[in-house]
Amino acid sequence: MAEQEINIPVADPKDPYTLPAAMPSSADNSPRSFDVDAFAVPTRKQEDWRYTPVERISEFFEVFTPSGKTAVSVSNIDGSTIDGSRVSQSVVDRREAPSGTVMKPNDRVSAVEWNSGDKAVVVCVSGDLDQPVLVDVQGHGTDLDALHLVLDVTDGTHCDIVVRHEGLARLAEGVEINTGKDSHVSITFVQEWDEGSKHVANHRIRVGANAFLRHGVVTLGGDVVRMRMDQDFGGPQSDLNMLGIYFAEAGQHLEHRTMVVHNYPDCKSRVVYKGALDGEDAHSTWVGNALIKPQAPNTDSYELNRNLVLTPGPVADSEPNLEIENGNIVGAGHASSVGRFDDEELFYLQSRGITESEARKLVVRGFFADLIEQIGVPSIAEHLMSVIERRLARGESAEMQAVLEDK
Amino acid sequence: MSTLEIKDLYASVETKEGRKQILKGANLTVRSGETHAIMGPNGSGKSTLAYTLAGHPKYFVDSGEALLDGEDLLKMTADERAKAGLFLAMQYPVEVPGVSMTNFLRTAKTEIDGKAPAIRTWTKELQDAMTNLRMDKKFASRSVNEGFSGGEKKRAEVLQLELLKPKFAVMDETDSGLDVDALRIVSDGVNRAKENTGLGIMLITHYTRILKYIKPDIVHVFAGGQFVKTGGPELADELEENGYDEYLPEGSKESALA
Repeated sequence: MAEQEINIPVADPKDPYTLPAAMPSSADNSPRSFDVDAFAVPTRKQEDWRYTPVERISEFFEVFTPSGKTAVSVSNIDGSTIDGSRVSQSVVDRREAPSGTVMKPNDRVSAVEWNSGDKAVVVCVSGDLDQPVLVDVQGHGTDLDALHLVLDVTDGTHCDIVVRHEGLARLAEGVEINTGKDSHVSITFVQEWDEGSKHVANHRIRVGANAFLRHGVVTLGGDVVRMRMDQDFGGPQSDLNMLGIYFAEAGQHLEHRTMVVHNYPDCKSRVVYKGALDGEDAHSTWVGNALIKPQAPNTDSYELNRNLVLTPGPVADSEPNLEIENGNIVGAGHASSVGRFDDEELFYLQSRGITESEARKLVVRGFFADLIEQIGVPSIAEHLMSVIERRLARGESAEMQAVLEDK
Repeated sequence: MSTLEIKDLYASVETKEGRKQILKGANLTVRSGETHAIMGPNGSGKSTLAYTLAGHPKYFVDSGEALLDGEDLLKMTADERAKAGLFLAMQYPVEVPGVSMTNFLRTAKTEIDGKAPAIRTWTKELQDAMTNLRMDKKFASRSVNEGFSGGEKKRAEVLQLELLKPKFAVMDETDSGLDVDALRIVSDGVNRAKENTGLGIMLITHYTRILKYIKPDIVHVFAGGQFVKTGGPELADELEENGYDEYLPEGSKESALA
């Protein structure tokens, strides 16, 4: 895609608020490169890595030879064969378009991923699909692997895509998503790794003009999962809805960083991430960045993160960052919270005969309900709810006891 | 025929300044089919009595018993008390986001009865109860109490009372914040529950207004954490006329309590 010519207006010092700011944002200034050496090795002193246990993922900081053991297969969500006229899958040279066209790597690990291996899995979707496409990513062991996945959706396409990660893996993953103009697309990424897995992912997303993209992330397992998702628009009047659900258990670090860039007029973005944390040293991080550029008047953006801490011991970091370079916008809101079970809610339910453990399940179910509904793929929603309920049931014995005593 | 006996109940609440004893030897016996109005000045401990009976975690029993047919409610968890047959209609019903009224009511009914209600009869029962309380069908699909007006919340409390069929209900200022029409609808619901199940009622209120619709058999004055006077319905009229002044301790110290 050709870079757009940007004329940044210069503010009149006597009336600085009539024109958009001429101040380059910090996000604009951060490096974008396919070259690993453009990025320093991460340390916790760097802003982008301050919440990350960098020592636990240091194997992803230098270019490596991928094991190639990660298996990728594409089918319909019910397991049936894809309609070849609408969905195609190919393995191509990583340097060949459409691979490598949606922005450039934006941190050390994404540049390492790009340079570790030379193939890309490209899935192209066109037309109206009557059932979701499943991209199944199976890990087969802890040998370091890299996967570059390109999801290319043509103009006017209506489709749902689910990318499911399972098994045992140490995976550096690069995902490029490009949606065409007037398309209406939902893509949900599920991370349900086995214990002992690590996953470092970088999504680079471009939403077409007058298009709608729902980008969903569901992270339920993995010792360390760090996902950074950078997005921009390919034209005006687009609508982006990013939603995330995570459930961090004892010792896990689950990190999600969204970077929404409004670079065209009349676009809307919503980022809603919700997480539950359970057990000693369960750690979640959400960093929601939003940048509204001078050339994006009439932007409507909002981001929200809520965390529900189920037991004593977890840590939830939640940080919204907004950079607004245009005064002529509809809105740029944010909200963030970390809370534990509300005693009043639990008491109300209990006073109606509902046991404490059942009340907790209802509250957690309620906490995630609106997001799960929005994912819009019933089989995923049901699966998700059952996984969450299994986890809650497991926690009832010893850990719930601890909470009760804590009161 | 069931009996609820509150015996010499002392209870405290956790405040910023530490624990404060509010109930100071409350004694009361309520039998099935009886309606007891509990009236008293602000801060006399009426709500504390309600919450202590229901098992709210902020309230602590210092001593005493609350026997429902001989079983001490105060030794049970809140859900066990509900299963034993106690219901608290709250002054400020709590919002539970994301949990639909339908799901909540069905879960509660299942827990109280020990088995899931038969779907067809349950649906009809729910619809009838909602129609009687002039509640829009949309309520069933909304989250518990979320975005309900004050009046809608009180109707939802009475809806639960009718569906869960407890032996005893503590109605904590159910009349507050209701207009005349809503007051009548809510009162009708309480009277229906009593007629259908022989419910025993503890009706906590400041005003005699609701007593026109829910006729008390016995009226109590509650002040300083105790029942200080008991009489017939005429006592309510007397209170309406003279206020609570004569029941307040010297200098009205007690009325400053939470």
